[in-house]
Amino acid sequence: MSTESNESSNKLGLIFASVLLRLWLGVRALQTGIEKFAGIKMSEEGAKIDGQVYDPDLTVEASSKAYSMANYHGVPEALKGKFEAEPLMMGWALNIYDKVLGPALILLGLTILLGIASRVSLLILGLVYISLTWGLILINQDGGIAWLGVHMALIAMALNWANYNPLRILKKW
Amino acid sequence: MNRREFLSKSSTIAGAGLVLGAPSVLGAAGSANDKINVALIGMGKQGRVLFEAMSNIPGIHFQAVCDIWDYNLNSGAGKVRALQKHMPNRYTDIDELLEKEKGLDVAIVATPDFWHSPHTVKCLDAGLHVYCEKMMSNTIDGARAMVHAMERNKKLCQIGHQRRSNPRYRYTLDHLINNNKICGTIVNINGQWNRAVSSSQDIQYKKSLAIDPARLKQYGFKDMHQFMNWRFYRDLSGGPISDLGAHQIDVFNWFLGCQPKSVFASGGNDFFKTREHFDNVMAIFEYDSAQGPVRAFYQVLTTTSSGGGFYESFMGTEGTIKTSEMASGSAIYRESSAPLWDDLVKRGYLRKKAAPAPAKKSDGIASYASAAPEEFAIPGVLNKQPHQNHLENFFAAVRGEAKLNCDARHAFESEAPIFWVNPSALQKEPIIFTPEQLQV
Repeated sequence: MSTESNESSNKLGLIFASVLLRLWLGVRALQTGIEKFAGIKMSEEGAKIDGQVYDPDLTVEASSKAYSMANYHGVPEALKGKFEAEPLMMGWALNIYDKVLGPALILLGLTILLGIASRVSLLILGLVYISLTWGLILINQDGGIAWLGVHMALIAMALNWANYNPLRILKKW
Repeated sequence: MNRREFLSKSSTIAGAGLVLGAPSVLGAAGSANDKINVALIGMGKQGRVLFEAMSNIPGIHFQAVCDIWDYNLNSGAGKVRALQKHMPNRYTDIDELLEKEKGLDVAIVATPDFWHSPHTVKCLDAGLHVYCEKMMSNTIDGARAMVHAMERNKKLCQIGHQRRSNPRYRYTLDHLINNNKICGTIVNINGQWNRAVSSSQDIQYKKSLAIDPARLKQYGFKDMHQFMNWRFYRDLSGGPISDLGAHQIDVFNWFLGCQPKSVFASGGNDFFKTREHFDNVMAIFEYDSAQGPVRAFYQVLTTTSSGGGFYESFMGTEGTIKTSEMASGSAIYRESSAPLWDDLVKRGYLRKKAAPAPAKKSDGIASYASAAPEEFAIPGVLNKQPHQNHLENFFAAVRGEAKLNCDARHAFESEAPIFWVNPSALQKEPIIFTPEQLQV
């Protein structure tokens, strides 16, 4: 096999790797953002005893997942209280972060998936993950920090392979 | 038969010795169309829980908010503004609030326990109806003063034992224990609230948000740590047996319809050595109930979550009902020798769960054990926040449409034995109750 053929095969592999990694990071960000609008919808059907509803507030034990604006929670409630007690965490900043995190992840997920300014989008996603890492350091969540570290490595790889990514809407930036 | 029909038909049963189950104070007159003007007294963690629950109840106008901590006051007022689109009036002092605010109907008191009685009495004397968090007070005399103020002013005073309005608990008592007697004779009760060390730590605060020391002193706190962690101090609260245990010991007394005749308790600072209150407490109550003698064991542990969290278990000759505010912690078990419950399942009174695994023949001890009981569940879950029904009952009573499910007098009868748990543990002696110890 010639050197030219080897280089061509290798380039094809890099293109596939770059596309797959971009898709993975895009889906990861997009769905994580969407999940921040998810909640549990309980059944509203009253439990019946002797054929009659006993109390409208006593409903059959059934629930389903539902998405709505009302369900939105940027920072999980269980963690929010811990962050609020941290002396280095500013309350106003936490409130802003709570509001923008979900929409930001959705927006970045879409731009990375569609290939709109991929490098800048990946850079901003990396900064979001750094901010999450800082928060988790404050509250001693070492497992989460390691998990975000893996994401950062993937972003670095995606940036490194950005040139091998032909399926992009806006290639500049 | 639905709940309302059951309640009307069973009034004679309730009158037969179930003193604790039938509040005597009637609802106030009012109109369903009138907005009820509310003052929120205390906007800490529990105040916010109650506000969230009330935000789903129509016809409420949050007119004023009071908290001595600016952080709680401003964040609480912000939540009110987000809900009703305008800012409530803000106060750090309840006396100023009661003096300046006109047209108030109701006060919701969610301050630290040692302020419950003074604040509730002030509000009742000012002509307001009051919903006050449990425990009524850190002292039995404080609780007595609340009952006197309610009756003196002929106003409503609901105490926040929210399980009393929970349809799952009411269904369990009305239909399963009283009507169908599925426990047979209740001979023992076992209850617990076990909380992990990680969930029992001191509450922290930002130094930059600390309250001025003079203001802290004015309201009975020696410093900011005590303000944040008042539950650890004997002069300010009753400790874990009161904070956590009161909910469940109230259910013991409510379900049995009587007060215990004695308590014997043990407690200690097993892990949190410097706290004034015991971190682990165990208590045994003895009852002479209408159906016979009952012993009840209760433990509150703030050092481990082991053993299934929190529940109350009513153990009878034919079945056991394990209740919990969390549906996942509830269960009903039929003794193998009890009559079958198939008809109750068919009619919807019970939901049968998977059959228990048979004992292994190789397990030698199995031959000495009773057959595994069948497991059932009540046929529904609560589709609301746990405090909402109790607040709805209160506001319905304010409108004259309902009776309170837990007025101050009935709450006192149920809480009175709890005040004697810590003294029994401190003295390491049982306390045989006298009427003076349990009566208003």
